[in-house]
Amino acid sequence: MTKWLWFKLLAVLSILAVVIGMCVLEDRVVKTSLAAVNNRCYEIEAAIERNGGIVNGEVASLVDNLEYRWFKDEAGMCYLVNHKNTEQLGVEIVRLKTYIDEEEEIEFYVSLNIIKNYVETFQHFMGASVENIL
Amino acid sequence: MLTIVFRAIIIYVVVLFLYRIMGKRQLGEMQPFELVLTLIIADLATIPMAEVSVPVLHGIIPLLTLVVLHFVLALLCKFSEKFSQFVSGKPVIVINPKGIDYKALKNLDISVDDVFEALRGSGYFKIEQVQYAIMETNGKMSVLPKSDFAPLTVQDMKLKVEKSTLPINIISEGKLSKENLKVAKLDELTVSNILKKAGAKRVKDVLLLTVDKAGEVYVQKYHQKYQTMKVKPLGEVEE
Repeated sequence: MTKWLWFKLLAVLSILAVVIGMCVLEDRVVKTSLAAVNNRCYEIEAAIERNGGIVNGEVASLVDNLEYRWFKDEAGMCYLVNHKNTEQLGVEIVRLKTYIDEEEEIEFYVSLNIIKNYVETFQHFMGASVENIL
Repeated sequence: MLTIVFRAIIIYVVVLFLYRIMGKRQLGEMQPFELVLTLIIADLATIPMAEVSVPVLHGIIPLLTLVVLHFVLALLCKFSEKFSQFVSGKPVIVINPKGIDYKALKNLDISVDDVFEALRGSGYFKIEQVQYAIMETNGKMSVLPKSDFAPLTVQDMKLKVEKSTLPINIISEGKLSKENLKVAKLDELTVSNILKKAGAKRVKDVLLLTVDKAGEVYVQKYHQKYQTMKVKPLGEVEE
């Protein structure tokens, strides 16, 4: 084999490694970020139950924490996931804060459930499955 | 807007690199699977460029996957003739000594006019001049003329001629190539002698200067007629 062929083979193998690596990385990053959001949603729900409503320091702090973590993770996810697919999640998280300020508990629950639903269905819509491939 | 500019640069570099990996054949004689690949690459590359919400990686990863697939396919074609025929098809004789093979034309889904067009492209305007015409897998037609119409060669005339040699560009558009100078086994003194003989003061005045292995020099100054001369590797210039 000539040097050029060796280089070509090496390049193709490297490309293959990059492709596999990127697929694994995307899966991990997305799963970790969404699992973190999901856990925080359950923590918020538990805090609401403990405090008997959404207007209290613990829920506000948890929502702030959720917002902070999500926007931090989203910055990394932007490299791997279509921005439009993560946009709605960010919007709903920001809404949670407004609903606490406005004391709109029902709207707060709606947004929280939208977030939970989004997280649970994201893998279903975006993950590698026969349905999605076909 | 700046994002699009940077994305365009990134994708351009990636696509250029991928085409280099795939080889020069991509640009000319494309097999069917290579044509498909080229079309998909062109389409994929534009998506992240036009849509800012799509990560660049969403354009690059499918491109890389296709290159790997192409490499595997090319490798399989190299090792298995049957697979190669399945992917690329096989050459088909469309004109034989009996004339046009209409069945072959039907199988290839081409018309007699298409055959004539390809023949004219090969320099044959009459079908009776052609012994065989073969439709290659890359869509080009190879033509074997009848002996009576084949171009006359030196071998046919049994003449003794000097071996043709490849001319080496020493100066091109006013720029001296030191690398080519070494290949031609010449030194700068020889070049300056050639320039003096050609009436050129500087290298910059010369549009083209070539030398072949037989020592034949072609030199042309800007906006002037070319001159030819002979050169020896020691810096002397002959008439």
